Amino acid sequence: MANLKSLKVKEFLPLLKGRQTRFESAPSELVQISDQAMTLAKALHPKRQYLKVAEVKDISPDCKSFTLVPDPERGTKELAYFGAGKYLTVFETIEGMPVTRAYSISSSPKDSLEGKYVLTIKLVDGGLMSRYIFDTWTEGANVEVSAPSGNFEYQPLRDAKKVICLAGGSGITPFLSMANAIADGDEDFEMTLLYGSRDYDNILFREELEELEKKCDKIKVVHVLSEKTKRGVKGLEKGFITAELIQKYAPENEPYSVFLCGPQQMYEFVDKELEKIGLQKKYIRHEMFGEFRNPASQPDYPAGVPDKIKITVTIQDKTYIIFGSSADSVMQTIEKNGLSVPARCRSGECGFCHSHLISGKVYVPEHLEYRRLADYKFGCIHPCCSFPLTDLEINVPVAK
Amino acid sequence: MKKYDVIIIGAGNGGLAAAATCAKAGLSTLLLERHNIPGGSASSFVRGRFEFEPSLHELASIGSPEEVGSIEEMFCRMGAEVDWCKHDSTFRLVVPAKEGDKDAFLNENGVMVTVDARMPVGFQPFARKLDELVPGSYDSCMAAFDLSTRMFKAFECLDDPTKLPGSLKDVPDIMRMVTHTVKEGLDALGMPKKAQDIFNTYWCYMGSPASKFDFLYYMCVLHSYVKSGTGIPRLRSHEMSLSIDKVIRDNGGDIWYNSEVTKVIMENGKPAGVVINGEKEVYGKYFICNSSPNAVWNDLFDKKDIPEKQLKMLNARKIACSLTTVYLGMNKTKEELGIKDYSIFIAPDSDSDKQYEAAQNFFSGFCIINCLNEIIPDCTPEGTSQLFLTTMTFGDVMKDIKPQDYKKFKTKVAKDMIETCEKTLNISITPYIEEIEIALPPTFARYLNTPWGTPYGYMLEKWDSMIPRTVQYMQDQPFSNFFFCGASQERGDGYGCAYYTGEKAGGIVVKKIKEGK
Repeated sequence: MANLKSLKVKEFLPLLKGRQTRFESAPSELVQISDQAMTLAKALHPKRQYLKVAEVKDISPDCKSFTLVPDPERGTKELAYFGAGKYLTVFETIEGMPVTRAYSISSSPKDSLEGKYVLTIKLVDGGLMSRYIFDTWTEGANVEVSAPSGNFEYQPLRDAKKVICLAGGSGITPFLSMANAIADGDEDFEMTLLYGSRDYDNILFREELEELEKKCDKIKVVHVLSEKTKRGVKGLEKGFITAELIQKYAPENEPYSVFLCGPQQMYEFVDKELEKIGLQKKYIRHEMFGEFRNPASQPDYPAGVPDKIKITVTIQDKTYIIFGSSADSVMQTIEKNGLSVPARCRSGECGFCHSHLISGKVYVPEHLEYRRLADYKFGCIHPCCSFPLTDLEINVPVAK
Repeated sequence: MKKYDVIIIGAGNGGLAAAATCAKAGLSTLLLERHNIPGGSASSFVRGRFEFEPSLHELASIGSPEEVGSIEEMFCRMGAEVDWCKHDSTFRLVVPAKEGDKDAFLNENGVMVTVDARMPVGFQPFARKLDELVPGSYDSCMAAFDLSTRMFKAFECLDDPTKLPGSLKDVPDIMRMVTHTVKEGLDALGMPKKAQDIFNTYWCYMGSPASKFDFLYYMCVLHSYVKSGTGIPRLRSHEMSLSIDKVIRDNGGDIWYNSEVTKVIMENGKPAGVVINGEKEVYGKYFICNSSPNAVWNDLFDKKDIPEKQLKMLNARKIACSLTTVYLGMNKTKEELGIKDYSIFIAPDSDSDKQYEAAQNFFSGFCIINCLNEIIPDCTPEGTSQLFLTTMTFGDVMKDIKPQDYKKFKTKVAKDMIETCEKTLNISITPYIEEIEIALPPTFARYLNTPWGTPYGYMLEKWDSMIPRTVQYMQDQPFSNFFFCGASQERGDGYGCAYYTGEKAGGIVVKKIKEGK
């Protein structure tokens, strides 16, 4: 059989010695290597962005647009670029209680290169964060946000060239960003926007949308008004976003994608309509609709859950015993007790709040199950969409 | 304030194994991780109705029902519970024909190729198949496996010196293998060039081509894959990471996620503690570091505290390759797509050195396509499947890309990779993509905090390969109470290698503490 005898055997010790010699003869400066991969990673995913409010604009009586710019004094020199459709998580402390909310960016990616993000926020009835923002975000106010996050984006390898975008109320924000990105040439798809509002006067960004439609022939906007249309204005639709309406504006002999962003009730209605059309799953994409509330309304919610819950929370080397309601998510209870939780989407999806459930049981609404398979095996939960059924003991990463 | 016996920086595979080893030995152990979940590369992520495997191709050393492999053994030893799925083939290499190739032929997919090698498990079946593809290669292939078999026997002497006398006769050959490249070794065995190319297909798993990589380590790698097949965890790599996380906690160890070490505190010329997230201080006697030495010396130490040798080492070594991976959730089954193999290597040229040269630029046509459903049929919902495509690059390949170009660039690279697979296998992928995620070097840089996003550490060239690194491990460590583990160390990249270095570093600390040092 063939063998290695033709190769020299005596090179082993010189090899070892040679390695150390090679180290010894190398320069001892701390050399910064050229590393654009790391530069991009840091530019696109900063841990935090420190911003200032530059402008506040009334969009409607209960809706405002806030223009945010970098605050170099607190360490943010430029804004992270983003793909249209992404959101920012806003961090605030309200009466000693750390609170976070995710808001879609309504301005274009191009604007961020010029140092500007716009968040358009609707005042929610009883909404803690929106009320706080309306009261305190005045020109010059300090704001702290996450890197742009989320997966609600156009992807040319996955989505059809033509996209029917279904927006309800303030769910218009990511589509406004996408429409601008199309007009700027940063995205390449044909958008037909079916935008549901109560009536003509309640349409947000009506003029901006009209302008975009005029400027770019890849954008078409149709207003769908649930209460009444307006005399003398052409092209309005009355009613709701039904299967028939979607098909009326959809291309006939080619595939199309449907993107949805709006309140929970809109999804419940439109999802049933979409079933009638029988689109493949790959062509339907939902933006998350924020925090889930009232778990007891779900048909699979168990009976006999106590109202009051004790949670033993360990964060790094500190353990806290806190109390809350079974109607609140684990995350809400922790926050209401003045503790910080890592939070991004608050809708179950992003997994940023991934925590260890040491003991006790939680309820997770089925449509918010985005946990990994091994999480079930090893008892891990996403506190933002987990509702306590018993007293709990959990281990939560520190917020950062 | 509590002072830990050992603080482990980074819960990658190495850090997890180190922490488990220390915690099980009764040391007060703190494992710190900058991300919110363990594992580093060994993780998973969910998109729509798919949960993707982010980095694991396959684990060698899982073993067969008759014989437990070394990784499985390690998990048993730790008490970590993983449901392994085993797989009994190695790789398929397809090299599409170029115009004018004289030896081109039509393969089973109806594509003109110069190589289409589907290699089986087992030394003899592997050698027979190689001989069928390249007549006259059987003897040299068996000779290579005979060498690796004797080499592994000799390694056992390290644990059991009573076996040494029987293996002494193999020492000269082992030394020859360490000091010669794969190419030199296979040439000496008389393996035909075309057979060498097929034989060397796994070079990319270690990132060093046949003219640079030492023969011994390549044979270690190939031997473990061919000997008894491979395995993967049923619930993606996240299962492996969480299983060790549990072992650490069950043995009294602490794990703090979202807790990034931002500085190492020095006392009397030695590390004494760490600062977490720029604010919290924790103290320890020993430190095991699973982070990249580049990141450690650049970010965690004052220049004056860095041992000069460590800087020289950074400057002497070559950063290994980075990866680009496209994850695809498909709304068709693998049968409907026409995919019959778990692992298909597509290469524009079968020669590993030419593949290496081409990988100095972005997408060179080299692509590995994996279909997880081939091993775990129900890893996706009925009627669907998941694929992942991988290519590698060396160097600062992103240098011309600005943040605003990045998304389009990503999509273009993914499109090129998908089209290469479609063309080479004569199948259709694009119309059936339900979910897609694209990870480029910046993605790996973000999650691994390594230069160029490399998951591989430093290039395993002959002069700086496994044996010299292992022999000189202790003299390469920066302080008497600070030990590195992970891909930057003895064995380079790979899950098994990282677990091994972590377990070993943990063992060193356990021994030192038990000896009262």
